[in-house]
Amino acid sequence: MSALALRLAARELRGGLAGFRVFLLCLILGVGAIVAVGQVRAALQDGLAREGRVILGGDAELEFTYRHADAQERAWMEDRAAAVSQVTAFRSMARLPSGDAALARVKAVDAAWPLVGEAQFDPPMTVEAALSARDGVPGAAMERVLAERLELAPGDRFLLGDTEFEFRAVLLREPDSAGVGGFGSGFGPRLLVREAALAEAGLIGPGALYEVAYRLLLPGADLAAEKSAAETRFHDAGMRWRDARRASPGSERFLDRMATFLVLVGLAGLGVGGVGISAAVRAWMERKTATIAILRSLGASAGLVRAVFGLQIAAMTALGVTLGLALGAGLPLLAAPLLAPVLPFDLDFALDPRALAEGAVYGALVAALFALWPLARRLGVPAAALLRDIGPGARAWPGAGSVIAAGGLLGALAGAAAFFSARPMLALGTVAGVGVALALLWAVGAGLAVLARRAARGGLADGRPVLRTALAAVGGPRSEARAVVMALGLGLTVLAAIGQIDGGLRRAVATDLPARAPAYFVLDIQPDQLAPFSERLAGDPLVEKVQTAPMLRGVVTRLKGRPAREVAGDHWVVRGDRGVSYAAAPPPDTRIVAGEWWPEDYTGPAQASFAAAQAEELGLALGDTLSVNILGREIEATITSLREVDFSSAGLGFVLILNEAALRGAPHSAIATIYAPPEAEAGLLRDLTRAFPNITLIGVREAIGQVARALGQVAQASSLAAGVTLASGLVVLIGAAAAGEAQRAREAALLKVLGASRRTILASFALRAALMGAAAGVVAVALGLLAGWVVIDRLMEAEFRPALGPALWVVAGGAGANLAAGLVFALRPLAARPAGVLRAP
Amino acid sequence: MTDPVLALDDLRLTLAGGAGPVEVLRGISMQVGRGQSVGLVGPSGSGKSSLLMLMGGLERPTGGRISVLGRDLAAMDEDALARFRRDNMGIVFQSFHLIPTLTALENVALPLELAGAGDAMARARAELDAVGLGARTHHYPAEMSGGEQQRVALARAMAPRPAILLADEPTGNLDAANGAAIMDLIFALRDRHGATLVLVTHAPELAARCDRVVRMADGQLAPEEAPAEAATGADQ
Ligand SMILES: Nc1ncnc2c1ncn2[C@@H]1O[C@H](COP(=O)(O)OP(=O)(O)OP(=O)(O)O)[C@@H](O)[C@H]1O
Ligand SMILES: [Mg+2]
Repeated sequence: MSALALRLAARELRGGLAGFRVFLLCLILGVGAIVAVGQVRAALQDGLAREGRVILGGDAELEFTYRHADAQERAWMEDRAAAVSQVTAFRSMARLPSGDAALARVKAVDAAWPLVGEAQFDPPMTVEAALSARDGVPGAAMERVLAERLELAPGDRFLLGDTEFEFRAVLLREPDSAGVGGFGSGFGPRLLVREAALAEAGLIGPGALYEVAYRLLLPGADLAAEKSAAETRFHDAGMRWRDARRASPGSERFLDRMATFLVLVGLAGLGVGGVGISAAVRAWMERKTATIAILRSLGASAGLVRAVFGLQIAAMTALGVTLGLALGAGLPLLAAPLLAPVLPFDLDFALDPRALAEGAVYGALVAALFALWPLARRLGVPAAALLRDIGPGARAWPGAGSVIAAGGLLGALAGAAAFFSARPMLALGTVAGVGVALALLWAVGAGLAVLARRAARGGLADGRPVLRTALAAVGGPRSEARAVVMALGLGLTVLAAIGQIDGGLRRAVATDLPARAPAYFVLDIQPDQLAPFSERLAGDPLVEKVQTAPMLRGVVTRLKGRPAREVAGDHWVVRGDRGVSYAAAPPPDTRIVAGEWWPEDYTGPAQASFAAAQAEELGLALGDTLSVNILGREIEATITSLREVDFSSAGLGFVLILNEAALRGAPHSAIATIYAPPEAEAGLLRDLTRAFPNITLIGVREAIGQVARALGQVAQASSLAAGVTLASGLVVLIGAAAAGEAQRAREAALLKVLGASRRTILASFALRAALMGAAAGVVAVALGLLAGWVVIDRLMEAEFRPALGPALWVVAGGAGANLAAGLVFALRPLAARPAGVLRAP
Repeated sequence: MTDPVLALDDLRLTLAGGAGPVEVLRGISMQVGRGQSVGLVGPSGSGKSSLLMLMGGLERPTGGRISVLGRDLAAMDEDALARFRRDNMGIVFQSFHLIPTLTALENVALPLELAGAGDAMARARAELDAVGLGARTHHYPAEMSGGEQQRVALARAMAPRPAILLADEPTGNLDAANGAAIMDLIFALRDRHGATLVLVTHAPELAARCDRVVRMADGQLAPEEAPAEAATGADQ
């Protein structure tokens, strides 16, 4: 039987691929997108792994916060490693003698730097030439934006703290960008200097915020063993270990999240393609009705017929997946030049088996799942019924076997999603979401058909031929409603969702902050500078408000007597170190919502005032105890008051404030926020950096701009993926319109025979497209908003505000495209004389 | 015949077939007067249906002239032709061509609605009753037999009381009793409303009832015969 099935299938396919164009395009686009994302992810991961030593700056890195290693610690390191290099990172202001200043991420390196990899300068020179002292003035290299901002040319001088440096070269590539002060360490362009030159600058004093990392070369060592040795040696010493095995966990996480998101968009795109596949298979089966019926009446068994058509679908799927894999493998090569400038290493696009498998598995499963249904429904019809109604129409409910097969395919799809994704729940959620969306759209399409039929029966269309024929197309026996609403609706839903997510991310930074945000955020104010700092600003008529507070960094270690992680899980308050402040009296604008603030001269056991909302999230109440580790000292305090803190306004907001006596003795600096109109900013910057060379001013406006730019890049990546969805959606739409062309041509010819003008016919076609487009659009807006809310509010934990405008635009655009596609394909039959269409039976 | 309803002059039609052009009609000239009934007979493939398409303005002739009710069809655009058919013609196709998405009743009502008739549904129902399908008004074409579809098509063509009825084998799928009833209906249209009939048929009984019988062969007209003698040889 199978040989005969093969022969018959091959004979059927001899006619060419014309009927499969939509099928193939949908599959190629969907598979291509998924494979392309996987390829880029694989290349980046491969690069991170391969260049792990280089981007970390050594085989391993030991990082300390606000302190250097002491002599014994340093000796321990030198004992184990073939070489040790020390790097200090902090933020500070690069100033010109004229008073102009700009924030910089300073990296101070020793003579051993870089242990691995190479730095690149413009003009080309050695590290030694760029950084060592010449005529008693130390050298510096910086990123081009900083040099341009300060209008520095090689040879010009500038100040860091009180020390003068000579700008020697632009830093083009910094090999160890993943190490300390690298990825994720905040804003500002890089400034590279020698550590020795900093000694006199007075920037790394007690209370200053800086990090010191020691890079080790450990040739041939077992990094896991080294790690545990170091963790034993530096237990409780505030050491953070990183090694070349996972040089940049931050960027790896970012990469994973990004790739997951993009694959999800690709998966949704494949879902849209699936609807196109389903429609294409249905149209193809309708054209093959006569063949099926004749095969059956000539004595072919149902199994043989199933095999013949199943084999053809399988062959087409194989072809589509193969071409999709080729597309997916080729696309990243085009993207490579775009990525090259932002990466510290070169990308090597070898074929990644995992990415290829991911695309192939998804493609095959989606094609099988979406082809199965129309195939089963058509093949289940008895031959006699097929012959009576050659053309669309006759369909049967698939048998139990097909239902089980569909269930199995769905299960396999879910399994694949869980297997391939770094965040299985998210992938499963997307698959389920697409499924639910399709079911809902199907129901809406079916409901629309029923409504149309009811309306026609109820006499709404009486005397209105345009409405009559439009309602009949929507609700009649060959109703397109379900197919069109599903294809259009899912495509529009994905677009609307991406629009909501993208808009939500941008708005989160862009619109919320500036109205209430300060102009500057000031770090590193020494305790003895606080009074003159405040005085100076008080005399400035442009400054609206200044808030200052002492700040220390601390890690919340225990809550209610138990380890904090145990109580709070992964809550951000207990993740890493937080700013902690102290105060005698409540700072201005404090709103205490529960408990009481301590007396100003309180010196008893430590008391804490906690942010109310976060206390609730962590399950903390008045009277509970907590412990913070500050500079290695564990302080236990009792919560005696709860405050309302607004963290969204970029003002001074501390989760935790202790009473003054508990912390005053610890070395620390103060921070401040300055509220001033934009026109005062430049003057303030010049003034303050000249008067207090060691302090760091972070321009909030600029920082927000940088966040927005970073988000813009994310948005760009997602709009690329959205483009694929859009392309699939368009292919599906055009395919649907093309598939309906014959039927519309016939209808147009008949309407002409009965006396309808072209305008009447066109109006009827437009009306049905509009009806179905509107139904799909309404569902898409609702589902898009829902998806946006899930991603923004639930997954990203940001405030979601629906952007109705863009959503409506997406929907209007989609419905318009549907209308246009339908009308374009109607033009030809409209212009022709009817005989050509009518002569055929 | 001072004022012919149909006037054909050396009408030619060449179609581009797969194996080169096919001369389907090769110079047809004839005139049909008001209220006349013409039976069009001839062997399969002789061009009867094609000639009917030209008369209905559904096909553009490659040569010659055709005017209907004194108007040159070649001078009209698609919309004018549609309007002209709406106001003057009913057409029944050999393969019925009902609109598959509309019920029988809606199919019959549609031309009335296009013409702006206020009582379209009631008239359509009466028309279906007349062809014996009063019980099947809400059935879709796919749910009806060939003969039933044919009767719906006839009801649709006759409902607007056209001045000209062009019918391609209107009784081809019907049994003798039904066929006779349908013939009565068609000729009643002529008798009561003065319609002009052009009927393609293989049925001798139908040809015999016509005023004239025109025989076609190989895209040309044979000399005209009397209906009675033509009827004996009609069904070849
Ligand atoms: N699209 C076409 N291209 C080329 N030739 C065609 C086309 N359609 C029909 N013909 C030819 O035109 C000729 C006339 O066809 P027509 O349908 O008018 O015949 P008919 O007299 O109505 O036959 P029947 O009694 O079988 O219905 C036939 O020989 C047919 O082969
Ligand atoms: Mg014919």
